[in-house]
Amino acid sequence: MSFGKFLLKRSLQGLVVIWGVVTVLFGLRAITPGDPVNLIVDPAVDQATRDRIREELGLDQPIYVQYVDYLQDLLVGDLGYSYQSSRPVTTMVLERVPATLELAVAATVIALVIAIPLGVISGTRRNEPADYGATSFSLVGISTPNFWLGIMLILLLAVQIDIFPTGRRPVAFHDALWTFLTTFYVGDLLTWLHHIILPAVTLGTYFTALITRLTRSGMLDEYGKPYVTATEAKGIPGVLIRYKHVLRNTMIPIITVLGLQFGTLLGGAVVTETVFSWPGLGLRLIDGINNLDWPLIQGIIIFIGISYVVINIAVDAIYAKLNPRVIDE
Amino acid sequence: MISDRIKSNLSREFRESLLAKVGLVLLVAILIMGLFAPVLATHNPHTTGYFDDDGNAYPPMGVSYDSHQWVDGERVTYTAEPSADHYLGTNNIGQDVFSRLLFGARTSLMVGVFGTGLAVLIGVPFGLVSGYYGGRVDDAMMRVADIMLAFPSLVLALALIGVMGSLTIPIPDPFVFAGVADGMPASTPLPGTVTLVVGLVTWVWFARVARGEAMSIRNEEYVKAARSLGANDREILLKHVLPNSLTPVIVLATIQVAAIILLESSLSYLGFSGTTLSWGYEIQQGQDYLRTAWWVSTVPGIGIVLSVISINLLGDWLRDSLDPNIEGEGGGAG
Amino acid sequence: MTEELLRINGLSTRFFTEQGQVNAVDNFDLRIDRGDVFGIVGESGSGKSVTARSIVDLIESPGEITDGEIWYNEPDLADAVREDRPEAVDGTFVDLRRISPERRRSLRGTSFSMIFQDPESSFNPSLTVGEQIAEAVEVQRRASANPRSTRARTRSEEYSLGSFVLSSFLPSKRYVTEASRERAIELLELVGIPDPVERADEHPHEYSGGMLQRAMIAQALAGEPDVLVADEPTTALDVTIQAQVLDLLDELQSETGMTILLITHNLGVIARMCDRVGVMYAGEIVERGTLEDVFDDHVHPYTEGLLGSIPDIEGEAGRLQPIDGNVPSLLDHEMGDRCHFADRCPNAMEDCLEHPPEYDAEGSNDHAVRCVLAAQEYDERRAIPDGYFDETRPAGDKHVDPEDADEGPTVDEPQRPLEEPGGESP
Repeated sequence: MSFGKFLLKRSLQGLVVIWGVVTVLFGLRAITPGDPVNLIVDPAVDQATRDRIREELGLDQPIYVQYVDYLQDLLVGDLGYSYQSSRPVTTMVLERVPATLELAVAATVIALVIAIPLGVISGTRRNEPADYGATSFSLVGISTPNFWLGIMLILLLAVQIDIFPTGRRPVAFHDALWTFLTTFYVGDLLTWLHHIILPAVTLGTYFTALITRLTRSGMLDEYGKPYVTATEAKGIPGVLIRYKHVLRNTMIPIITVLGLQFGTLLGGAVVTETVFSWPGLGLRLIDGINNLDWPLIQGIIIFIGISYVVINIAVDAIYAKLNPRVIDE
Repeated sequence: MISDRIKSNLSREFRESLLAKVGLVLLVAILIMGLFAPVLATHNPHTTGYFDDDGNAYPPMGVSYDSHQWVDGERVTYTAEPSADHYLGTNNIGQDVFSRLLFGARTSLMVGVFGTGLAVLIGVPFGLVSGYYGGRVDDAMMRVADIMLAFPSLVLALALIGVMGSLTIPIPDPFVFAGVADGMPASTPLPGTVTLVVGLVTWVWFARVARGEAMSIRNEEYVKAARSLGANDREILLKHVLPNSLTPVIVLATIQVAAIILLESSLSYLGFSGTTLSWGYEIQQGQDYLRTAWWVSTVPGIGIVLSVISINLLGDWLRDSLDPNIEGEGGGAG
Repeated sequence: MTEELLRINGLSTRFFTEQGQVNAVDNFDLRIDRGDVFGIVGESGSGKSVTARSIVDLIESPGEITDGEIWYNEPDLADAVREDRPEAVDGTFVDLRRISPERRRSLRGTSFSMIFQDPESSFNPSLTVGEQIAEAVEVQRRASANPRSTRARTRSEEYSLGSFVLSSFLPSKRYVTEASRERAIELLELVGIPDPVERADEHPHEYSGGMLQRAMIAQALAGEPDVLVADEPTTALDVTIQAQVLDLLDELQSETGMTILLITHNLGVIARMCDRVGVMYAGEIVERGTLEDVFDDHVHPYTEGLLGSIPDIEGEAGRLQPIDGNVPSLLDHEMGDRCHFADRCPNAMEDCLEHPPEYDAEGSNDHAVRCVLAAQEYDERRAIPDGYFDETRPAGDKHVDPEDADEGPTVDEPQRPLEEPGGESP
């Protein structure tokens, strides 16, 4: 199979998954008890108004017609209107994407920058103090709920020693960057950085711990393989054996794990955003659930599902490039 | 299914692993805390503070922080520092943090165990059937699993709770019934919706593991032999495939209990658990009082971390001894 | 005329495992002349592979070379070493056990290279075959640009992590140069791989087993080594492919005149390839000599047993048949100070309860044997009674099929580290 065909096959599978996600959400909304009209207007309003709203929402139609309408709307990117604020959900989702994206990217960067060197040290110096340190850190890291870690960071670094803010995002990264590029004023960027550090560490710790653990055990496994001895026999420098051969092969399966963990990252973002009042998708999702604002809930989850699928197709493509055997299997 | 070799591996790994011993001791301690909470607790976890005859709030308020509680027409706060009467202090409405820590362990362990049980009950049959039959059946079932995976478990759990509402099931407390724990709540609330939901969002990991096992077992000689002797699929699945796929399921189940404890704590932190006797809820309550009463959020968090570490350590021990090839979702959703 | 290349005295390699100390190679002596093809033959677990790895310096924890000298005849190296460590130099010979680990490592690829048993697991699955061979070429290219006398003295010239990181952005910083890649393609062509230009860009899984073994030979030749150590080079291959690979090795050997140390359990391979043979049992050479000495004038009953059940040496069926009894335990506390073969030997006598020295035997000068039968006739009256060893060591009738013997699963538990050393960090 060629790489293109492989990618096409994965994309088609991805479409099926997205359809499934969309359908599950439609089903959940349909079985939710209670009359949505009550969520939009005062329950005391007269029947004529209620019927008008019902008709506007298409709720007077049979369920399969509603489903088809819903799919048609989705195809053109229309996620409906929020019950609570009557604003278009598509806008409500997209305007919150940058904040969550900033957080997720910052957390991932922190995780990779710390975890890979830590995992390498741990995996190449087995049973030395550095290894024990890294192993203990990763055990605690994967066992700590990130909301509590966030609160403890606030307690120590924002309350006891006041060096970081307790939360909020006073400036968006893209605005701060634009200000910097146009006026060379660096203050906004620093403010952004100052505010994102604690949330990013909070969200990133679990992944740092996870990747450290995976890198360590992966390298130990990899060192046991015969090709490493064969490569050593060639006489090439140790650096190349360690990084070009062993680490590279260790990271290939880890990339797939990270793709699967993308959902965990977004789930973690929901909680982290709550702890730090970080105005992202997660905070809005919690709002939506508290108000039973189904169009909003649905819109956010569909967005998350689609990103998950797209990320995983990208991950599979990278994986196939690095390890061409999978295409043939 | 549990052969002598497995047993000897387990005991050898256990003897050699300090961490496995630490994990076991911790877990036993936490189990005792949870099981005997009504006996060990010093206060009823629901009892709030009160005022003495002189009008002073009791437990004493070391702080003047608005707790939004109205007692006899006055706004007061009850947050007390750790003391001889309240080992770990009280929270903002004067409840004993130590006692609530014990009862919180109950909630976490119950949700962890029942939620994992539910996930096993859904996931294992699903995976076995998918892997055993293979082909189109497998393709279709694995797409369903992919769809499940596309929802972050926390997010899906939130959506499901949105649909169902937060129900709790009161479970009568045997100690109170037996009369050995006077003044303790007569029943412990099991967060029913949360338990159901965590099972519904994590079964897919069991399905994946069971599927892999079934795929390899169906090609084993003894399965072929059984089939040629006329056994039907149902018999083969129950008698051969299921027992032989249990090892990795057990390892995964251990790790998943930890993951679900983290998930439960996140849900209750976000306010969706339906019970106030939960570590996550307690942490959320304490977040507003970090400046004056650091212990309210800190103590239950330590409870979560130690429980999860102990279970993860035992999971590592099982994995090292049994060496199944599994993957699972990390617990970091919380 | 013939010049000694390797002189190994008293080499001992031990593995320190949970079950105890494993004497994989025990007080091992060997001499190899330049241009020779020397074969080491023996059952699985006899220490052949560990011997090979000890010579190439690939022993990893929990293994360790505990004793012995490995004298290597290389005048340039001798000159370079003499200044720092005169005790490690004897004429043009250098004792590889006494030079610095860096210098020892610098001999990999250029002085000693190795062919492994299973080509499929001996290549990195995620890099192209061409790239991997080019790495070996590069080792040689950099070594010859940098004469022996200065090499390995300055560590700064070693390819650093900094260079590796930079090479992601700057192609000029890459370890492997374009010239080496081209040479790799030439080597692929040399070992008979069709369309070498295209094949160089393929990954190992796209090669057949035989092709991959050819590629590994190309890789081993890249460094233009003095000694090529071939550890079971044909065991993992189909019978028809085995013959082709052996032909190739034979051809390359006669062209380049390189020295080959061939490790195998297959007497057919020995008969076809080797000038001299050492028969290995329980970590030591029990009989050695020219091909004729060992095949026609052998003295040791173990050699006899090895040869006994072979109908036709040149035939394809000519592989090792199991001998009755246990595969020898190499655990130190189970070995005892006797002839290690005595418990399986049909001709064991009372004298065999002492560890025999090496005796000269009839035939060529090199013919030596570690068996009392070289000095005295078998005497039935002094034979050890049947069942004598059953009491000292629990017997199980374990036959090892040589086909899969070196993989380990059928081998006794404590011997596993011999064939799969490591899993640890280097």
